Order: sequence, then C-alpha cells, then structure tokens
Amino acid sequence: MKKLVTLLLCLSILLSAMIMPAMADELEGEIVFWHSFSQGPRLETIQKAADDFMAANPKVKITIETFSWGDFYTKWTTGFSSGNLPDMSSALPNHVVEMIDYDAIIPMDPLIDEIGRDRFNPAPLLEMTKDGVCYAVPLYSHAQVMWYRKDLLEKYDLEVPKTWDELKVAADTITKGENGEVYGCSVPFGIGDLMATRYLNFYVRSAGETLLTEDGKANITSQAAIDGIKYWVQMYKDNSPADSINFKVLDQATLYYQGKNAFDFNSGFQIGGVEANSPQLLDYIDCAPMPKLTVDSEILGNETSNIPMVIWKNSKNPQICEAFIKFLYQDDYYIPFLHSVPVGMLSAFVDTASNPAYLANEKVQKYQHAMEVISTTMQSGTAIGMEYGPKPQAGLLTSQNVIETMFQNIIINNVDVETAAQEAEDTLNELFETLN
Amino acid sequence: MQITNKDLRKKPDITGFLFILPAVLVLFLLLLYPVFTSVYYSFTSKHLVRPSYKFVGFDNYIKVLSDPNFYKAFMTNIKWTVYSLAGQLLVGFTAAMALHRIKKFKSFLRTILIIPWAFPSIVIALSWKWILNGVYGFVPIMLQKLGIVSEIPQFFSNPNLVFGTLVFVNIWFGSPLIMVNILSALQSVPEDQYEAAQIDGASAWQSFCSITVPHIRNVVGLLMVLRTIWIFNSFDIIFLLTGGGPANITTTLPIYAYNIGWGIKQLGRSSAITVLLLIFLLLVCALYFKLLNKWEKEFN
Amino acid sequence: MKKRVLKRGWFSATISYTYLSILGILAAFPLVWIILSAFKSKGEITAYPTRFFPKVFSLEYFDIVLNQLKFTGNIVNSIVIAGATTLIALTISALAAYGIVRFFPRFGKALTRVLITTYMFPPILLAVPYSILMGSLGLVNTRIGLIIMYLSFSVPYAIWLLVGFFKTVPIGIEEAARVDGANKFVVFYKIVLPIVAPGIVAVAIYTFINAWNEFLYALIMTNSRELMTVSVALKSLEGQEVLDWGTMMAASTMVVLPSVIFFMLIQKKIAGGLAAGSVK
Repeated sequence: MKKLVTLLLCLSILLSAMIMPAMADELEGEIVFWHSFSQGPRLETIQKAADDFMAANPKVKITIETFSWGDFYTKWTTGFSSGNLPDMSSALPNHVVEMIDYDAIIPMDPLIDEIGRDRFNPAPLLEMTKDGVCYAVPLYSHAQVMWYRKDLLEKYDLEVPKTWDELKVAADTITKGENGEVYGCSVPFGIGDLMATRYLNFYVRSAGETLLTEDGKANITSQAAIDGIKYWVQMYKDNSPADSINFKVLDQATLYYQGKNAFDFNSGFQIGGVEANSPQLLDYIDCAPMPKLTVDSEILGNETSNIPMVIWKNSKNPQICEAFIKFLYQDDYYIPFLHSVPVGMLSAFVDTASNPAYLANEKVQKYQHAMEVISTTMQSGTAIGMEYGPKPQAGLLTSQNVIETMFQNIIINNVDVETAAQEAEDTLNELFETLN
Repeated sequence: MQITNKDLRKKPDITGFLFILPAVLVLFLLLLYPVFTSVYYSFTSKHLVRPSYKFVGFDNYIKVLSDPNFYKAFMTNIKWTVYSLAGQLLVGFTAAMALHRIKKFKSFLRTILIIPWAFPSIVIALSWKWILNGVYGFVPIMLQKLGIVSEIPQFFSNPNLVFGTLVFVNIWFGSPLIMVNILSALQSVPEDQYEAAQIDGASAWQSFCSITVPHIRNVVGLLMVLRTIWIFNSFDIIFLLTGGGPANITTTLPIYAYNIGWGIKQLGRSSAITVLLLIFLLLVCALYFKLLNKWEKEFN
Repeated sequence: MKKRVLKRGWFSATISYTYLSILGILAAFPLVWIILSAFKSKGEITAYPTRFFPKVFSLEYFDIVLNQLKFTGNIVNSIVIAGATTLIALTISALAAYGIVRFFPRFGKALTRVLITTYMFPPILLAVPYSILMGSLGLVNTRIGLIIMYLSFSVPYAIWLLVGFFKTVPIGIEEAARVDGANKFVVFYKIVLPIVAPGIVAVAIYTFINAWNEFLYALIMTNSRELMTVSVALKSLEGQEVLDWGTMMAASTMVVLPSVIFFMLIQKKIAGGLAAGSVK
C-alpha cells in the first residue's frame, strides 16, 4: 500500500512536472506597456514586436501607450495612489531609484539570468541594484559627449578642443566669425528640464568632483562646482542665444540640428535629429570625448544614461511582461530597435558590437568614430548624482530645477556666484529631507 | 420678477427637491468630497506617492507661511491678477464701446475680436511661444528689422519683459469675453433714457455716467468676480508658457503649489497652500459681493 | 443722427474704427500666423529671416498630423467629451436652476453665491482626490471619467447663469398650465424651457468651450493616445524627440480653425451670455 501511494505520488509529480511547463507556455491575459519612444521607427519596431508576440500568443493582449519622459513621470507619480499604472514600462535611472524606494516594481534577477547575465554590460545592472537585488532590465545606453561641426572648425582653422578653456576659445571664435548666424556654444538653463544640472555636472565630473557626496548631500560649493558655474555663465553670455536661458533639451538640440550651434553636448541622438532637420550637414558632424580640465588630466567618467525596463508590482500578469521582454531582446526585434536611432541607442549587451546584423547598418558604419567615442565614454560614466550608487537624492537633484533656477538667478538678478551656489546647496539639502 | 404664487413659494414639496437633487448630488460628490479631502490632507504629512501618512496639525501651514518663496509667489499672483484684470476690463470695455458706436462692419469686427476666445490654452501657449520666440520668432525679428529696437527683444528671457509678456497674452485671451458681455449690456440700455437726458440738457459725459454706467456695472461687477477667481487660479497659461521662470519671476501660487505637490511630492503642504489661496479668494469675493449688493440696491 | 452721437458720447466713429482695427489685427494675428506656418515646408519654417507667406503651400505637416498622428480621432474625442459634458451639465443645471428659482427663491441668492465660491477651488487642489476617486470607480483613462470630472466645474457655472434666465419667466404662464392639470415637470419641459431656450443655448456654448479647452484633468487622466483630447495630444507633441514646430502648427490649425468658424456662426447667440443672465 505504501508503495502504491509512493508510486502514485511520484507519478503525479511527474505528470504535473510535464503539464506545468505546457501550461506556463500558454500565456493568457492583458498587459499595458508604457514607453517613451513616442515617434517614428522606434515606436514602430516596438509595436511590431508586440504584434508578433500577440500573434504567437493568441490569448495575450498588449496595449502600448506612449508619453514623453516628463508626462510619464507626472502620470505615474499621480497615478500611483489610484492604481493608474501600467504593467511594464520604460524608465529613467532616476525613476527606477524612486520606484524601488516606493516598493513599486519587482525584482528582475530571474529574467536577467534567463537572458544571460554575462551578456549585459555590468555597469547598468549595478546602477539599478539595491541590496543585491536588481530591479530593472537595461534596454539601451547612451553617453553625453561633445558634438562639433567639422566644417566650422576647418573654416576657422581650429583643433577639436580637448579642454574647457580650448572649447571656450573655439566657441568665441566661431560666434564672432559667424556674427549671429551660428552660436559658438549654446548653454541651456531652462526650468522643467535638467539641462543646466547636466552641463554643470560635465564640468564638475571632469574635475573629479561630484554634485552629490557619498553620503547623499548636495555639493554645489566645491571649487570645481563654483568654477563650473562661472564657466557656463560666461559661456552663456558670450556664445548663446539669450533665449537659451529658457531652453529645454529639445530647444537646445534643435539648435544643433538646424546648424545654428557649433558645439553641443548630447548623445548619438544628434545624428537622427540632424538628418531630419538639415541632411546637408550630415557629413560635417562628429563628436569627441568630454573636454578635460587641463591637457594633462586623465579622462574621467562622465554622464551615462542607461535606459531600462521595469515591471510594476501591481501587474496581474508579470509573467507575460517577462516573456515579452525576453521576446523583445531577440535579434529580430532588438537590432532593428537599436537601428531606429543609429548610434543614439547603444546595446545593453556586450556581444552586440560584434554582431554582423548590427554592424550591417549604414549609419552605424558611417559614424563608426562617433560610436567608439560614445562607447568608450559610456563605460566609465553614471547617471548624474549616482557616482556613489543609486540614490533617491539624485532624482531630486535633477528634477527640482534648483540648479537651473540658480543659474537664472545669477544671470538675471546678478546674484554673486558663491552666494547663489550656497543657496542652491541649502535648498537641495532641505529638499533631500523630504525623502525621509 | 416678483413671484406672486404663495402656494408655490411656501410649500417646496417633494417635486421641488427632485429638481435640485441631481445638482446637489453632483456638487456633493464632485466638489465637497475632494475639497474636504484636500483640507484634511493639509493637516497631514500626505505624500503624493507613498501610501502612509500621519496627522501633523498646523505643521504644513507653518512651513508654508515661513517660506519667503510663498510670499514672493503671492505677490506675483496679486500683480498677475490685478494687471490682467485691469487690462482685460479696459480692453474689453473700450472695444465694446467702440463696437457699440459703429454701424458698418460691426459684426465682422466683432467676429474677428472674439477669435482669441476660441484658443485652448495649449494653443495659446504654442502659438505665442512660436511668434515671440527669441531665436526664430517672427515678431521679435520684425521689430528689429523695422528698426524699432536695436537688438532682438527677448520676450521670454528678458526679466523686464517676461512678466509683461504673460500679462499681455492673458489680456489677449480674456478680453473678448468681457467685450461681448459689456456689449450686450450696452445694447440693453433703453434709447428713450438718452433722449430724456438730452432734453434735460445733459452732456455726453453726464448721460454716460448717469445712464450707461448704472446699466452695465452689474455685469462688470460679476465679470470682475468671475475673472478675479479665474485669473488668480489660472495655471495653464503660465505653466505652459514659462513654467514660472526664469528665476521664478513668473511663479504664482498655483505654480508654487504644483512644484511642492508634484515636484517634491509634499501633497500635504501643497494642499495647505491651496487652502490658504482659497481663504484669500473668499475674502476678496466677500468684498466684491458687498459692492455688488450696494450697486444692486442703487439700481433698483 | 445727433442723438446717436450724443448717446455714444466721446467715442467718435473714426477713433472707433482705428482702435477696432488695431485690436482686430492683434486678435487675428496668431491665427493667421499658425495657419501660414502650418503650410510652410520643412526647411522653410525655421528659415532665417522668416518669410510671412510660404514660398510654396505644402501639405507636408498636415499629412503627418492626419495620417501619422491620427489627429482627427483626438478631435472627435474632444467633441464627444465636451458635447456629453454640455448635455449632462445642462440637464442637471436647468432642473436645478428652475428648482431654485421656483421652489427655493429665498435661498436663491445665497445659493448662487455659494456656487461661485466653488470656482475658487483651484483644479490642482482637486486633481489628486479626483484621481483617487476615479481610480476606485475604475474610470481612469475613460471618456466617462473625464466627463464626470468636467461636471464639477460645468454644473455650478451653468446653474449660476441659468438662474438669471429662469427668473425672467413670468409665473402667470405656469399657473395657467398648472390649472390645466399639468404636473411640475411637464410645465417645466413644455412651458418654461422654450421661453429660456436662448439662454440655454448661450450657457451650452460657454459650457462646451470650457470643456473643450480644459487641459490639466485631461493630462492626468488620459493614457491612451486614442482617448486623448486635442489639448493633451497637442501637449504630447511638445515632448517629442524632435521639436517640430510645423507639426505643432498644423495640429493647432486643425484645433482652432473649426472653433473659430463655430464661433462665427454662433456669435449672435453668445452675445447675450452672461449679461442677460446676470443683470438681475
């Protein structure tokens, strides 16, 4: 009798073991996917992946809704208390830190292991890991580098600037020479975006400093920060359209796309923008590593953005989300996705760079140099304020317009740089207290 | 109109209640509930995202009232309201007078003048941003080309211009409503009163003061009440045009409250700001109503 | 003629025409400019120096707005949402306004003033409680949810305006009907409503415009592109990867031009709007 029971038990375990995977394969349910790739080929490649996934899993419905990053942030923070959230979404690193803080998203380690942990670049994974648990799957990365116009450098017989001082001289020369047609180096300070913080961070990082200290305090009064503020204020006064005090990322980028800005700081997204706005300039654009403090100083890590995907805790069908993410990472979908903004979005995987399918793209070949520059810069950088690991303070540092307002105060109200910096630092530290 | 039927007036039976019931329900659910929730939040540490919060008494109010930025935003808000209201009334009133005066092209001109009213705030923001843009804007570039100014004027970044630019856009948008309503009030003035005044030898100015003004001032008064509230609370136009900048020059209380509630997610504190705003508006409106009562008595 | 001059006082005809023309140019300029910009071609829109008229009338941007962004769907949404809001708000408000005037006249004044104070609650204050309320009703990201939220500002305003109109209805007419045996609702529907019809139309237009123009609630409550109202769809264009003024101007044209034409057609009706309702 005992044997029979044991046998039956064994049989049933065996049976269920055989049935279970079969059942798990048959996915059923609906998921809502919010992402911020709201336009053109990027939108289409993701939509195509979703369509194919639904065709392969007829009982699954994927609804895609898109928002700009700004609107996305407003929506999920407002929607959190009412449950107006998606099942999965794209996110910015700062969002992820906050989401972890609110216990809003689920661990992704099983999925990462399934896809192959070794395939991923390690830095992005680390950036989204808290207490040994990784909460997001990296989708793509990019880094901020210095973009310039080869034709203008040639016209004024200039070298590609290697230091901030060289950049200033080059920008001054071009502004003067072009007499209003082209700005030497526009500096954006608009509120509602993080551009001024980003620019200040460039300078501060190149001096080996950080805007957030290791224990999560604002650090706007370091020597590097004060010098950086003075540098950008002077650059604004000499080489920017006055309106750039209100510029957000798009206003700023558009200036370069249209050939009205000689030096700009951005990722590989510049190429697509120039192509859409002034294709005649495509042959004259290129990028170089971030300027350094002095010629001899070593190149230090700068700003890298790792854009991941997350699965929300309130999702009823996390297994569908996981299956879909895995599906999305297949070469058939992932490579065209990366190609939709060539050089703008660099792969989350180490092996893509040698993937013939990826290298077959015409833009990828044409801007080989730019891609190398960005890839190299990418390795050592982090998101603004996350140099010492993911911190919710980094979110407030970039989202509260404190540094933007500080710059505006210096320019408009002639506030003394040291005073303004001290004030901004105090304001930020005060804001950080709301995190507890 | 005097109601004479005592039967109807004295016994508001069940049918009477039925008439107002849907409205009472809507108002209760849609206004009282959220307002009480917000007042309640203003005494708590409610966070926009985190679910748990606790009662903190007047902490939020103390924090708000000890923040110099609150007073700055409050003063900006008053300036914004007074200038916009005065401008809208002045333009609306003079345009109505002019329209009332003319005969030819009257309805054509009136149609043109109400165009701004048809603009949703997002289109107002987009179109003016585009027109006054300091890099490609048509108007700034034209002004420079025509030699009116030597440098391209920066309507959104010059600290001396930006506030005026916003007020201008608000006047542009708000005047048509005022114009239309004053115009129809002007048309309701009986002709014979003017004739009688003329026979009595009154001057144009005198008959304006003694006949026109009493007829339109009720409308003007109510428009003032409505507009004051709207302008004071208005969020869209400033938010979309400048976001409160540069250097917080155009930050009004609703923008300030938004920054606290959505920016740093201190919903309790931002509720306290809006409750304070509400109290202030109630006071202002009480004053207005006193004035209106007086006017109504004089008119009857 | 002399009488007219006297009546209209110190505003002479010449000054009036000059003044109105200047105002007219200011009022119409943004409309003209967005239409002209929308018809420009890609290179031209940000060209320096800016030309007033497009070199060639290009439909490039309209093509994007119509075929890629499917903007007509958003326009339909806005019409449906604003239309439904108007219909429901007017029904509720007309009943209430009549009820106040006929059955609770003593509270009438106080009530209407309370209604005005409801306007003092800034929408931002209400956004979060609403979002929670709509979430618990399962109405987030639906047209119905938005319509319900719009009632919050439409109903008080409409009641307030309508009370003025209902006050002008002589009670004698109603009494005659009552004697004939009609109940209160029939009296209201058959006798009173037709008398205040012009007022109802005016208030309907105001309500429609306010709902059509609303931005904040729609932004917070709508997720799907297909459900977005025109304002939110337009705002979403601003957050794209490339700042595309041409597309934004073409979309703006499609939003504003129908409203302007609508205004031209109905302008006689709105003229009375507030004034008729509020004089008494």
